[in-house]
Amino acid sequence: MGEFIAGPSFSGRSAALMERLKVLAPAFFVGPYAEGALSGLSSTVADEIAIYRAPARVHTEFAPLDFAAFAARKPPTLSGGEQVLLALHCFSLSDYGVIGIDTALEQLDPANRDRALAYLSQGDFTAALIDNRLDRPPGWSTQECSGGPAFACDLAAATRDLKPRAAPAIAIENLSFNYPGGRDIFRNASVSLEPAQTYRLIGPNGAGKTTLFKLLAGVLAPASGTIALNGARYAPWREGNRIFALAAQNPDHQWCGATLGEDVARRRRALARYDEITVPGQATLAALAALLGVGSLDQHLYELPLVARKRLSWLWPLSGALPWIMLDEPTIGQDRTMRAALAGAISRLAALGHGVVFITHDDEFAATIAHRALRVADGTVT
Amino acid sequence: MFTTPRLVAIALCAALNFAIGNVVYLVKLPIYLDSIGTILCALLIFPDRIAAICCAFIAGLIGVILSGLVINPFLPWFTFSVLAIALVSALLTARATDTFRAQPLVPLPFFGKVILYGVITGIVSAVVSAPVVVYLFGGVTGSGSAFLVAFFLKTGEQLLNAAVLAGLTTEPIDKTLQVLVAALLYRATPREFIAMLRPAQPAT
Amino acid sequence: MTPNGAIAFGLLVIAAAIAARDLVSLAVVLALLTVFALASRRSIVSALLWSAGIMLPLAAFMALVWVGIVGRAPHEIAAGTEGSRAAAAAYVTVVCTRLFVIALAVQALFLHFAAWTPLGFVRALTAPPVARKLLVLTLSLIETILHAVDRARTALIAGGIVTRQFSWRNLRHGWILVQTVWLIVVVIAIGRTRDKWPIEATLSRLDTALGASAPRLAAADIGWGAAGLACLIAAIGLR
Repeated sequence: MGEFIAGPSFSGRSAALMERLKVLAPAFFVGPYAEGALSGLSSTVADEIAIYRAPARVHTEFAPLDFAAFAARKPPTLSGGEQVLLALHCFSLSDYGVIGIDTALEQLDPANRDRALAYLSQGDFTAALIDNRLDRPPGWSTQECSGGPAFACDLAAATRDLKPRAAPAIAIENLSFNYPGGRDIFRNASVSLEPAQTYRLIGPNGAGKTTLFKLLAGVLAPASGTIALNGARYAPWREGNRIFALAAQNPDHQWCGATLGEDVARRRRALARYDEITVPGQATLAALAALLGVGSLDQHLYELPLVARKRLSWLWPLSGALPWIMLDEPTIGQDRTMRAALAGAISRLAALGHGVVFITHDDEFAATIAHRALRVADGTVT
Repeated sequence: MFTTPRLVAIALCAALNFAIGNVVYLVKLPIYLDSIGTILCALLIFPDRIAAICCAFIAGLIGVILSGLVINPFLPWFTFSVLAIALVSALLTARATDTFRAQPLVPLPFFGKVILYGVITGIVSAVVSAPVVVYLFGGVTGSGSAFLVAFFLKTGEQLLNAAVLAGLTTEPIDKTLQVLVAALLYRATPREFIAMLRPAQPAT
Repeated sequence: MTPNGAIAFGLLVIAAAIAARDLVSLAVVLALLTVFALASRRSIVSALLWSAGIMLPLAAFMALVWVGIVGRAPHEIAAGTEGSRAAAAAYVTVVCTRLFVIALAVQALFLHFAAWTPLGFVRALTAPPVARKLLVLTLSLIETILHAVDRARTALIAGGIVTRQFSWRNLRHGWILVQTVWLIVVVIAIGRTRDKWPIEATLSRLDTALGASAPRLAAADIGWGAAGLACLIAAIGLR
């Protein structure tokens, strides 16, 4: 049977889930983000499955991907969605009678998400679920959580004082890229991105959405092709990134320090090298961080709750310092209120002249923002 | 002694030794930086001294065995050096944990202790490593200290003495750098992780 | 061959290499290793290339120091005699060959198990359960760290702090990379240790997976072990 734990962020849902699972223990647990999905005891996908496989089949198998083909792959090299699917596959091969999932399904693309929910709803085991995009799933019992002190986050106030600005147009021409030993991700892909516009990248897992972000930010270098800003050649893989403010899918993949103060200071120093960037002052950023829920620059980033870290990851995008914003799955772990507020903030940034590109599997969220869809598939961007 | 969080700490520090040591080895810098995890493990598990020695040593040992398989097959021969570093780290360097974690960072005591304990670690490591350097490598390990060995040999020193003297010149610098990195990593480690490493409380 | 047998064989061969005093005894050990590598039907070429790759820079260094600078062998220094570069060269040759043999032994054994999964290898190892658990955990965390390095690099590059290209600024900021990697991995470890493992009893699942019976020693182990022992005896005898 299905037990759904509902409530706004910081209402104690994760704690309630853990309490429930302790009562029902042993239970299979899939934590938030990819890193919470797998056991941490395996160096290959085959080993991960071997650890959980029970001698006799107890559940129907859940295998939306061909895991046999992945057998020798290392688990951290799978995408976030693939790791969550692998975890569910391992559960289906195990003899656990209970599974608890803390927002992990939010990372799945729509097709796999539906498959996963259908599997969990079937009823021959207990499934306890937290998911910000569901509202009392039919056939599931619901436990409501409420209240509790929140890391109050006011996105409207955060974007209120932003000034209009110009952002360069981005022209990508004949971009080709492939990972060493892998297939082509991009083959002579060309696309233009206009400022004051919002774009959504859509496409199946592994198509290259995050790869495109990395190419634009200079993390990866293309095999061939050019990127131009207002017609001028731009090669961030050589010159460094001074155009894009990136909010990573997992907020822990973007900090540059142990405390917020360290992170802010290092980034400010780095951006001060570029004349064309007006670096926000330390006090401004501290005030912005307070509006995002973190009151002190001395706050140790990794001691914050995960949901609060995710909100803080919007700091530089919302600061207005950089002309283009890239948001990778910005709504993971955020409740309905926050998703609506984020949609408003994105629209405001675009209205002020920023260019915004975001990736999300949440069609409902995307529908609330005026945007152009860019399909990333088969080596091209259309 | 070996609670689950401590096993995790050992494995993390062993993996850290492996990762950092191999990068540095491949870049062919005249330093090793392959014991940062060993020192860090001792800092994390302090003040339980016996556990700190054991866990730090095991972390170092696993690190050199795995590095030996993949990158540098001569590392496992320095097991006694690993033990020596674990002992110094748990018994001496770990006394500075409060200084290392003090907010804000007070430069004089912090760097003073880093240098003091780094030099001691380096001296001990040089003395313990010298016999292995001599009998396995003939005194020349491929790092810059080889020229120092040559210098001392030229002046008529016996090989073992030359290796010790050369080691005493380079190891304190390398180990001070390692104590510095370990101290800074210890400083940045979330409180929750350090709290997990306390000895298991007896069930009441 | 089981992992236990491989470790025993490896230790015997390496002991023989250490005990060997001259090129003739080292040749005996090298011959045994070559036969082993050929018999395991893995590519001996890659093991040879790898060992040579490790050794050649070291050999060049040693030759430079002993033959080029010092000009005499250690036993000549100890005896206080004039010595000769030829003696120094002979010394360097023996030391380098010994190191080459040790490197080859490690690589050949490592490659022998290349097709095994890490879990399968540790399962077949005879060792205290805590040690085996620790080995599995470390191997898994190495993968996590390597992946965290990639994530941390992305963070620092996107943050404008470093660039892809090698630069002195990147080197100065190497510390930030190390700190970020450590924090990413520690947070992952905290999550697993605090939440996932207690609820699932994952570690006892690992114990079960590791406990599945495997033979401690196979016939091949006895054979190769005997060969290794014979080699060691020969090396000592030829001193």
